[in-house]
Amino acid sequence: MMTFASLVERFYAAMAAWGIPWIVPTLIVMVIVVSVVLAYISVAAMFMIWWERKISAHIQVRYGPMRVGGWHGWAQSIADGIKLLLKEDLIPAGADKVVFVLAPMVVFGATVAAYVTIPWAPGLIVRDLNIGILYMVSISSLVVVGIIMAGWSSNNKYATLGALRSAAQAVSYEVPLVLSLLGPVMIAGTMSMGKLVEAQSGRWFGVLPGWFVFPQIVAFLIYFTCALAECNRLPFDIPEAESELVAGFHVEYSGMRFAMFFLAEYANMFVVSAIATTVFLGGWHGPWIPLPGLPREVAHGLFGLVWFQVKCYFLIFVMMWLRWTLARLRVDQLMAFAWKVLLPISFANLIVTGLVLVLGKQALLYVGGIAILLLAAILLAARPAARTVRVGERT
Amino acid sequence: MDRPIPIGTTVVMERTGETMEEMYVNMGPQHPSTHGVLRLMLKLDGEYIIDCIPYIGYLHRCHEKIGENRNYTQIIPYTDRLDYLASMSMNFGYVLAVERLMGQKIPERAEYMRVILAELQRIASHLIWLGTFGLDLGNFTIFMYCFREREMILDLFESVTGQRLNYSFYRIGGMPMDFPETFLTDCQVFLTWFKPRLPEYDAIMTDNILFQKRVQGVGISPPQVAVDYGLSGPMLRACGIKWDLRRNDPYSIYDRFEFDIPVFDTCDVWARYMVRRKEMEESVKIVEQALAQLPPGEVMAKMPKTIKPPAGQIYSRAESPRGEIGFYIISDGSPKPYRYKVRSPAYVNLSALPEMLKGCLVADCVAVLGSVDIVLGEVDR
Amino acid sequence: MPKCLSARLPWFEEMTPEEILGQLKQKIGDAITQSEVKGIEVRLTVKPEQSWEVCRLVRDIGFEYLNCISGADWMTHLEVVYDLSSLQHLNKVHLRVPVDRDNSVVRTVTDIWRGANWHERECYDLFGVRFDGHPDLRRILLPEDWVGYPLRKDYTDERLVPYTEYGMEEKLAKAEGEKAAPKDAKSLQPPAPAKPATA
Repeated sequence: MMTFASLVERFYAAMAAWGIPWIVPTLIVMVIVVSVVLAYISVAAMFMIWWERKISAHIQVRYGPMRVGGWHGWAQSIADGIKLLLKEDLIPAGADKVVFVLAPMVVFGATVAAYVTIPWAPGLIVRDLNIGILYMVSISSLVVVGIIMAGWSSNNKYATLGALRSAAQAVSYEVPLVLSLLGPVMIAGTMSMGKLVEAQSGRWFGVLPGWFVFPQIVAFLIYFTCALAECNRLPFDIPEAESELVAGFHVEYSGMRFAMFFLAEYANMFVVSAIATTVFLGGWHGPWIPLPGLPREVAHGLFGLVWFQVKCYFLIFVMMWLRWTLARLRVDQLMAFAWKVLLPISFANLIVTGLVLVLGKQALLYVGGIAILLLAAILLAARPAARTVRVGERT
Repeated sequence: MDRPIPIGTTVVMERTGETMEEMYVNMGPQHPSTHGVLRLMLKLDGEYIIDCIPYIGYLHRCHEKIGENRNYTQIIPYTDRLDYLASMSMNFGYVLAVERLMGQKIPERAEYMRVILAELQRIASHLIWLGTFGLDLGNFTIFMYCFREREMILDLFESVTGQRLNYSFYRIGGMPMDFPETFLTDCQVFLTWFKPRLPEYDAIMTDNILFQKRVQGVGISPPQVAVDYGLSGPMLRACGIKWDLRRNDPYSIYDRFEFDIPVFDTCDVWARYMVRRKEMEESVKIVEQALAQLPPGEVMAKMPKTIKPPAGQIYSRAESPRGEIGFYIISDGSPKPYRYKVRSPAYVNLSALPEMLKGCLVADCVAVLGSVDIVLGEVDR
Repeated sequence: MPKCLSARLPWFEEMTPEEILGQLKQKIGDAITQSEVKGIEVRLTVKPEQSWEVCRLVRDIGFEYLNCISGADWMTHLEVVYDLSSLQHLNKVHLRVPVDRDNSVVRTVTDIWRGANWHERECYDLFGVRFDGHPDLRRILLPEDWVGYPLRKDYTDERLVPYTEYGMEEKLAKAEGEKAAPKDAKSLQPPAPAKPATA
């Protein structure tokens, strides 16, 4: 099997045969990988920014960028990027300069580090760690550290408020997020990203693809909700709530430093979508045919690459769709939602999954019924005051 | 190395009396949600607002002093700039005051024109309010929808007046010219387009559970407080008080139309939202009736070349989209008013803001301020 | 009275402006120096020392809604004008309180209507009437370091551009042109930098 890892091994072996110390090939591989990942992130983020502007525009009955580059303003993000690069780099006089400068790097670095374990295609993964998913979740939550650094070092009250909100939000939403990921991990019996995808190769009842989203639909919804909060996307964008905190934690940033926050936000969107795709949507799995003139593995890899991207960008599209449809939650409602609704449901999901795994498929109906009852009870208990008032009704 | 001054240390405390528990946040004048150049000093405990001090006057342009130096006709363009989102209503209030002072009757057709334009203006103003309120709550899409419809109203106004924002179209004694020929059909086309749009707004705002959660039970002003502060317009009607000058102190020809006065009694942001949302429907009704009844005839009464109201004084009020717009005019019989004073609804409504904000979160502050629907041009005059 | 007004205070329907005036005079007649009924409006002139009592009384007999507090400068004296109405009937009260120009003090009515707060601040800002007992009497529309009270008729400010009637500018220019050789360069210069007024 021709995989990325085996290619690297061959490269190392060849270098060793030439008598070159191990540090040299390692460095070469690292530099190549990092440049490829960085190039991908920049291109993907610029595409996502342009795409979001087009999506938001079409949702809002307008066109969005139409001029730069000719066809539907495709070069708009490039122009914006150049503008941001050329802008003056401002550091406020009262800011803690070291922390202020470090903050965007921490945010961007944490996001980039998460790309290490994304399984792009069969065999194409930078490092298939045996705790891949744990690594990904923990490294991407380092973003919060950067946000707090940015908020605090700006010495701006709006930024501080944004950072505090961000910390509270991250702490609250990481918990249901991890719990929701545990369901598929229990089914697959592994934390490695590659093996998680391979575990989804079968079929459910011979019809549905073997994706974990079908048995774990509750976990998927919880994960997606928490992922929105992780990315600070509407309706959970309170750390940078534009109409309240102006721009939240990055209010004092400009030029390239701001662009790094911006890039990191979109790169982070891709990361959480990649996790969802890997864990719930079957990763690179999808129909494929051997291409003429190409080895079987390469053709499979190419199709896998395309399928992975399609699934990721579909999730990103849903995130953008939500952003331009919903209103923002308030900070206390946000916390209440995480602790009172998401957390109990994800625990219930975990318990049900465990029971089914232990008792076997015969218990599925039995446990499923209990689960539905449990969920209904939790939902009813969590929102006693919810009322929907329609137009025309006197309140 | 320069250390940032941690919030709440002695340096800050000496200046503002701040303690470790309290934080002062200066919201505005450059802030995306203060709807102009308003400055709010918020005293926070965490995210909770303990106190709020509004600072206004950034847009003060001596409206009243200018008014004393212009003759009665020349003041009309200045009234446009009061509430620049509802210029027609401002013009209406002003010419009404002068006409009442003179005891002037104006032709039937002019009255109908005034009502049609003022009600369309009310719809346009509420549309802007709805859109920016959506922005305040993080719902960006409703803004574009509202502006699409407002644009159509502006096109109608442009066909009538040649202007899109500051119309200066009302005259003392009538209207300067008749509607263009196409206006009546255009207006009907707009109304048939607009009516099905209101349920669309409901779908994205009113029926959205996130939106409801944000606005219900927030920014409460009980009816006693509302009357005490002299709130008017939708702010008052959101407190369950059925008070609309078009109905309760009928001016012009408002007593000829059938329309409801939407009233909600939850006194919160939600009630204010619903009142304005329903008022758009009622304004559509009025415009439809007025278009059906529009009589032919002159649009301008015979007026002297120089308008000299008899010596005397009057406080005249009318219902603008934001509430009671009052003009207090003292005439000494000369072509210029001796004293000219504007009682602007947003000014009075804004003065009750600190009362409504106490105990709210910072995020609610934006929602409550949005629900007051201020136009700083009118507040600062 | 229009039908749509539900009579929430039935006794008030019988009360005409004349009767209101009568009741006021009976209760606090010595404070009222002038009175007049015009349409549905009762117009009173009240001694400044007793303005608060009159306001209180007017509020208690049903005028709970403060429309506006404005000032007026009559050269000989200043005047604070209260416009009061009700949300239950159509009658109005127009209350004028003449005050001394040099020592203009009126008792605040913020404890009767909280909404009077900003109205009184505005009146202080533009006319210099001081409201005794006001909780926060600061300038509101003008900057806090402004000198003078702009709506007083004797207010002068070198920055004020005198207003000329339409067409008068050309006439003046012509007249000047005839008088002396044109010195356009000078007249086109911007006005002198702003200095605080000393009124």
